[in-house]
Amino acid sequence: MAKQTCIFFISLFLLGSPAVLSQDTVTVPLHIRAGFDISGPVLKLVDRDLISYGVLGSVDINSAVAVAAGFRYSSFRSSSVLYDFNSRGLSITAGADYNFIKANVAKGKYYAGIGMRYGLSFYSEEAPMITYTNEWGTGETSVPAAMHTGHFLEITPGVRAEIFPGMTIGWNLYMRLLISTGAGKDLKPVWMPGYGAGTRGMATGAEYFVSISIPYKKIKVFIKPRVQQSEDEEETGNENTQTGTGNSGFNN
Amino acid sequence: MTRYFSIPLLAVFTVLGAVLSACSVQPCYEETDPTLNTLLFVSGTGETAKADSLRVYTYRETDTLRFIDTGVTSSFSVPLDPDSDQSLFLITLNGVTDTAVIRYNRLPHLVSPECGYTLVSDITGLKTTHNIIDTLIIENRSVNLNGETNLHLFY
Repeated sequence: MAKQTCIFFISLFLLGSPAVLSQDTVTVPLHIRAGFDISGPVLKLVDRDLISYGVLGSVDINSAVAVAAGFRYSSFRSSSVLYDFNSRGLSITAGADYNFIKANVAKGKYYAGIGMRYGLSFYSEEAPMITYTNEWGTGETSVPAAMHTGHFLEITPGVRAEIFPGMTIGWNLYMRLLISTGAGKDLKPVWMPGYGAGTRGMATGAEYFVSISIPYKKIKVFIKPRVQQSEDEEETGNENTQTGTGNSGFNN
Repeated sequence: MTRYFSIPLLAVFTVLGAVLSACSVQPCYEETDPTLNTLLFVSGTGETAKADSLRVYTYRETDTLRFIDTGVTSSFSVPLDPDSDQSLFLITLNGVTDTAVIRYNRLPHLVSPECGYTLVSDITGLKTTHNIIDTLIIENRSVNLNGETNLHLFY
């Protein structure tokens, strides 16, 4: 297992390397994955006011691209001398992941890439108690429970590795960009389920997924040979030089 | 083997860092008090006026609230009563007193999770006496945290 992990990390370094690869065809399995976010229950232990349970599924379209969709249930409450606030709801994200690792290295087992998703949050919020004080004195009011629909974009760089056949672990950072809370400018939610603090245009964090993965198809991927051009050719821009003819020195 | 544990360990520390920063109590740095902002003008000419003295206050059952007591000025800002849909102000301009009543609707507005909510208002109407005040007109009905001018006072 340590060997597999070493290969995975070494493959990350290969990403930025201009190394010359041999022309080849590899057979890569495509997977269907389904998993849950274990950071939610961990957060519940630390912060009892926040409940967040998420599941994520993805299907490989080819060796590099997978479509992904996630569901998350969140509940949040906050109580202070200034206000009480509750929100809860279900969020749905859908988008795609792109694996930067070459197919012949990843072999359907490793992922280091970035995902982009569109998110919808169906939630209710209420503020049962609000107090506000100025020179006149104190005023009290409340915001009754109301349903809203929020929108956001999510960018998720992350890594994933198959630790056992059929079992994948991985984590990703997320950067969520708020499009709309759906609650108007005055009643932005203190916490928008699936997004985070509704008063901020960007929310960041991390998720840790444990997934089962099932191969459903095998495809053959042609590994395109890379041509290493000499600096002289680039500078002179010799029109007679044919790229990809093999005279620039790649190894088979 | 060390590398095997590096991914989950890094993830755990990242999550814990995010949680601990989220759980810590953050201070409130934002402005939370909306004010009714009024500019003074010379009646007839429409030029900005500078009052030699200005006092703005109100009487309550138990006490007097003094909002403004200043010398030369061309504007003033006062808060609205958060516990009522109208506020009564006594405005003494250059030693002459008028009474103005401002009516409004109150709306909760979230400033930030740290600062909580404030009450912004939409002015629905006003009345004034005319001892020194010629006219008091609504320039902008929304009394919020933006600092925009709400009333023009001509005298």
